[in-house]
Amino acid sequence: MLELIALTKTIGDRNLFSALSLRLEAGGFVAIRGESGTGKSTLLNLIAGLESADGGDVRLNGNSLAGLDDDARTRWRRDHLGFVFQAFHVLPHLTILDNAVLPLRLQGVGSTQARAAAQSMLESVGLGVRGAGWPGELSGGELQRLAIARALVHRPTLVLADEPTGNLDPENAQRILALLAQQVRTQGAMCLMVTHSSQAAAVADRVLTLENGRLCEA
Amino acid sequence: MHLSRRRLLAAAFALPWLQSARAAAYPPVVPRRLVFPRDHAAHPEYRTEWWYLTGWLSAPGVPDFGFQVTFFQVRPGIAEDNPSAFSPRHIVIAHAALAWPGEHRLLHDSRAARAGFGLVGAETDRLSIFLDHWRMEVRNDGLHVRVDSRDFALLLDGAPPPPVLLQGKDGWSQKAPGKEHASYYVSMPQWPLRGTVTVKGQRFEVSGRAWFDHEWSSELMHPEAAGWDWAGVNLNDGGALMLFRMRRQDGSALWFGGTWRKASGETLRFGPGDIVWETLREWTSPRTGWRYPVEVRIRVAGRELQLKPLMDDQELDSRRSTGAVYWEGAVTAFEAGQRIGRGYLELTGYGERLNI
Amino acid sequence: MMRLIFSLFVAGLSRRRLASILSFIAIALGVALGVAVNLVNRSALDAFEHGVRVISGEADMQIIGPRQGFDEALYARVARLDSVEVASPVVDIEAPLADKPGSLRILGLDLLRAARIQPGLSPKLDSTQASESRFAADAVFLSSAAMRELRLEPGQTLRVKVGLAIRDLRVVGTLHGGEDGARFGLMDIAAAQLTLDQLGRLQRIDLRWAEGVAPSQARAQLAGLLPPGLTLVQPEAAAMQAAALSRAYRANLGMLAVVALATGAFLVFASQALSVVRRGAEFALLRALGVSRHMLLTGVLAEGAALGLLGGLAGLALGFLFAGVALRVLGGDLGAGYFSDAPTALSFDWPTSLVFVALGFIAAVAGSAWPARAAVRAAPAPALRSGYQPSVPKLPTRRRLGVGFLLLAFPLAAIPPLGGLPVAGYLAVVCVLVGAIALLPALARRLFAHLPAMQAIVFDLARQRVAGASGQAVIASGGVLASVALAVAMAIMVASFRDSVDAWLDRVLPADLYVRAGRIGQAGGLDAAAQMALERMPGVARVEYVRHEQIRLPGSVLPLSIVARRIPAEGAGALFPMQAEQRVAAGDTPIWISEAAQDLFGWRPGMAIELPFGGVYRSFKVAGVWRDYARQNGAVLIDLAVYRRFNADALATDAALWLAPGASAENVSAELRQRFGAALDIVSAGEIRRSSLALFDRTFAVTYALEACAVLIGLFGIAASFAAAVAARKKEFGMLRHLGLTRGQIGATLACEGALTAGLGVLGGLAAGGLIGVLLVRVINRQSFHWSMDFSIPWLSLLGFSLAMIASAALAARLAGAQAMREGALRAVREDS
Repeated sequence: MLELIALTKTIGDRNLFSALSLRLEAGGFVAIRGESGTGKSTLLNLIAGLESADGGDVRLNGNSLAGLDDDARTRWRRDHLGFVFQAFHVLPHLTILDNAVLPLRLQGVGSTQARAAAQSMLESVGLGVRGAGWPGELSGGELQRLAIARALVHRPTLVLADEPTGNLDPENAQRILALLAQQVRTQGAMCLMVTHSSQAAAVADRVLTLENGRLCEA
Repeated sequence: MHLSRRRLLAAAFALPWLQSARAAAYPPVVPRRLVFPRDHAAHPEYRTEWWYLTGWLSAPGVPDFGFQVTFFQVRPGIAEDNPSAFSPRHIVIAHAALAWPGEHRLLHDSRAARAGFGLVGAETDRLSIFLDHWRMEVRNDGLHVRVDSRDFALLLDGAPPPPVLLQGKDGWSQKAPGKEHASYYVSMPQWPLRGTVTVKGQRFEVSGRAWFDHEWSSELMHPEAAGWDWAGVNLNDGGALMLFRMRRQDGSALWFGGTWRKASGETLRFGPGDIVWETLREWTSPRTGWRYPVEVRIRVAGRELQLKPLMDDQELDSRRSTGAVYWEGAVTAFEAGQRIGRGYLELTGYGERLNI
Repeated sequence: MMRLIFSLFVAGLSRRRLASILSFIAIALGVALGVAVNLVNRSALDAFEHGVRVISGEADMQIIGPRQGFDEALYARVARLDSVEVASPVVDIEAPLADKPGSLRILGLDLLRAARIQPGLSPKLDSTQASESRFAADAVFLSSAAMRELRLEPGQTLRVKVGLAIRDLRVVGTLHGGEDGARFGLMDIAAAQLTLDQLGRLQRIDLRWAEGVAPSQARAQLAGLLPPGLTLVQPEAAAMQAAALSRAYRANLGMLAVVALATGAFLVFASQALSVVRRGAEFALLRALGVSRHMLLTGVLAEGAALGLLGGLAGLALGFLFAGVALRVLGGDLGAGYFSDAPTALSFDWPTSLVFVALGFIAAVAGSAWPARAAVRAAPAPALRSGYQPSVPKLPTRRRLGVGFLLLAFPLAAIPPLGGLPVAGYLAVVCVLVGAIALLPALARRLFAHLPAMQAIVFDLARQRVAGASGQAVIASGGVLASVALAVAMAIMVASFRDSVDAWLDRVLPADLYVRAGRIGQAGGLDAAAQMALERMPGVARVEYVRHEQIRLPGSVLPLSIVARRIPAEGAGALFPMQAEQRVAAGDTPIWISEAAQDLFGWRPGMAIELPFGGVYRSFKVAGVWRDYARQNGAVLIDLAVYRRFNADALATDAALWLAPGASAENVSAELRQRFGAALDIVSAGEIRRSSLALFDRTFAVTYALEACAVLIGLFGIAASFAAAVAARKKEFGMLRHLGLTRGQIGATLACEGALTAGLGVLGGLAAGGLIGVLLVRVINRQSFHWSMDFSIPWLSLLGFSLAMIASAALAARLAGAQAMREGALRAVREDS
């Protein structure tokens, strides 16, 4: 269960949110929409511990983020979170399998076990035969599949997706969204997706809009 | 005899360059009347000269032991026209050895240096020869010998010189067939000594009797000779016996010589045909593999003597310094099972052929 | 975790191939130079020490005195002492060769005694030689090295000059124990005394103490016997003397190598800093995935460590190679003339070599430290955003820090040397460098903000780029600054030195012709008859004589050189460049000391000093200090008549000849040759000058090589940083290409950027180099070699060098950019925006 409790964040003299709250149950898939500059990405960063809130707390299955130092936040991300970015962000100098296996390696999972898990994860996103290849050989849609595999390979509690289809054509976007939703549900994880796209929002259980520092049901 | 032998030791084994190809003007060795004490001193114009002291010493708490101290002065006949004070006109060589029963071999050391600067040389007016701190000299109060080495040191004082024993014909001693193979040879047996001997840091007050030889010559060893055996014995009755034989390469005798001065003063002189020299026992050196006849029977003047070594290993191996290797050791003389005297036996030329 | 760090970070070095290779080469070069300089020095010292060991054998002490020797009677007195076990007299002569240039050290030893003190020196008579030959007056044994170098075999003749005579020596055999490169000959002492004109004289007595005698007691007993001018030294003193004389030179070379290494560190810093900036998004992603700050820090440092380790090890191998080549080509003193024995083999000095490897490692890790911290401090969130453009942060302007460091250099420069080395001077150099680099951002801001706008788009783009991203320019130009500063400083020092030597030679070589019949340590000279004959030579208007000698002062490892000349009425200042010249009171004997003598012995003008001459202490008044570039160990000038009065030595070593009007140097030389024979060296002032300056240039050849390396590394820095920056700016170039710039124009822009960046470094480097040059001339050289020089700046060479540096940087930037531009720029835009 993800709880956002009265989050407050100010950037410069602009008050992004004050007392923003949200509860998300296990297995839930929430899409957050909003105009540019409403703070959608910042919200994800706050949940990821990449930025600090000025007030309030983020709790995941009861574990509080507030008050953790950088190392603890890093462990938090490593253990509980998975990411999918708009620009894919895969490492070009690692093979596709090595990119997918990265979160497990960071958790210290043994190499053989980790590679097996990553391989099966790649299979479930349809890249099972590409593991030995390099990211440079992949199309945009395939890169995002790889990103989804990487986001879920370590069975995170929560997947944060930031415009995952922003760099994809509609056809690819549809497939990716379906794949993301399916994988999140299969694993019983939660997913919080920030998007402009109504097509994207359609796969979510709930669609919230971020407006004037508040989340409203659409 | 000694003379050529010593010369040989020095020249042939040890320091081959001492033999000059250029014939320096050496005086010939012809019979003449020797005058003392002048003739105890050095004769630097001759090719080779040596002073030789051997004997047995006693000290409380240890078995009796033998010692020998020898000084040579050689005139190699080289660089005589070089005005440098370092010019090697004369070379002094010294050997010292201790037959110390506890060691089962000789303690020995040797030195060689050019004469000069008052540090090394031999006086011409009295018996005094010195090589740095090593010296052998006769002063008014008698003989003084000083030798110190890493393993041992000798500090011996003797009485004033005892009566001389002129070897050969009034001190002119023939060594081989041919009158030119001769040396001047003077002995002073039965010389009482006392002093201190230090062996490996332990000091002993000692006393004993020595045999002193002094010999000089300009001659080389006879071409047929390969080596020699020599013995000098202080007899218990006060007499003194010197015997030598010159050997050919095949071991046969080339020449014999000897002198027996009885306690009464009567002196017998021996030549070839007077002496029979037999080997009783040989000893093989573990260092060189050479076999030395260390126990001998000598028949002379109707008597039969046996010489038995203080210990078998009295081989003097100074190949690392002057290079000479020979056997020179303390021996006891027996006659009919009775001990009749003590002296020294020298055995040379038992290894490789002497290269003269 | 190590493997993860390796695959995430270190393996990435191979992606930035150019930057990595340049960093690697820079570190390897720096380490190689240090290792090579040290190895060659070590080998030369080892060879020298080996020679000393063979020659002095097991001697406990040696008695040495004036170079011309002392009365042999002392030998007898010394040998007689109870505390002395063996005393071995030695004649030691440096004999000039008659048939070729150079000389051979010939020892005269008592061949009978020497075995007891020098057991390693066993002369072996050749089988063709008669056995008594070893004592023959002309018999010499040669060490294998001497045999080899002089191309002689037993039975052949070695011709040496002894004063005005030439003596034929017969090679009668080989010296065992001299195999390891010591080049010398051995004679019996009597033969040496006779043949080398040393009758009655010794140069040395080697001693071994008697067993059980306390060395202090033995020394005390001996000291009472030694007349003034003779001293008792450890046999190692000769090696120490060689080491001491060459130490400052060696230290300076070592420092140059360290500076090259520091430049290498700067290069690592530049390429790492830029690559960290470029990898901002990658690092942010890693952070998002759960890589901790510590791991990130470790990772970036590990990249530096890997570069440092690989570069260090490669440098070690390269250093051995360099050393081997240098030894063969330049000799053990790297051309400086400190050692006469050429080492034949390298001495592997692992500890010091490994220190340089460690320094290389540290340089690379230190160079990565700031980039690593920057990587850790960067906020990950912005870098993860789409469309993130990496940029170098504005560097902090540490104006106060920079000025502080610069000011600190002044008090440091005033600190006297430590253990004969200008330690504080080196620190002052470091301060100037650090200060200059700290001030670089401020300089960049000033400079780039005031560059005028230009019509040419290419230049203008470059100008805006360096002004806008001055951080990158500063980082790249830092390495240029360091290497230019070094090169400029060295150029100033060498120019000052060379000009001063040139002027000095002018002053000390006033005559037309110089004749020499012996040098210090060589037998013979011009005797009274020869002097008279010289003066009566037709065509010779005037003759002045010089007597060279060396004496020993108690407690000093180094000999003091004596230059005895007629002091003209107008004063000693006419002979040598002189400071603080003063008249001495009637009754006082004046003496003029060299700057080295002033520094080493603490003498001052007006001071009364005592020197041993002819076995007696004589009193002198210091009447001036002169500049001497010929004798680093200190020298005194005294009047020839005074010297002769004190020494009963009428020989002259050199004579200066002024020609009569109309006489030709060629004719007079020919007549001299005819009259005195081949043993007389006849040279014109011009020849001495040429050979002196040639020796000077040879001495600095290695310095130039080290400088060139540092400059090369500085250029690498430009290339590496541009390679890194261009890779990160693909999108920018793609956009420019969309706008309509040609590929060539983009290349030109890059070249302009390179030139501007290098220009910044060159400007800073000129300023810092000027300051460091002053330090080298006034502090480091003075303290190391004890000679002063006049400051001169080689403006033209510096201008040429600066322009060449800027042009090379432009080229390097252009070449580094070419790689990035080859990949389609248009694709770069589409791919990732």
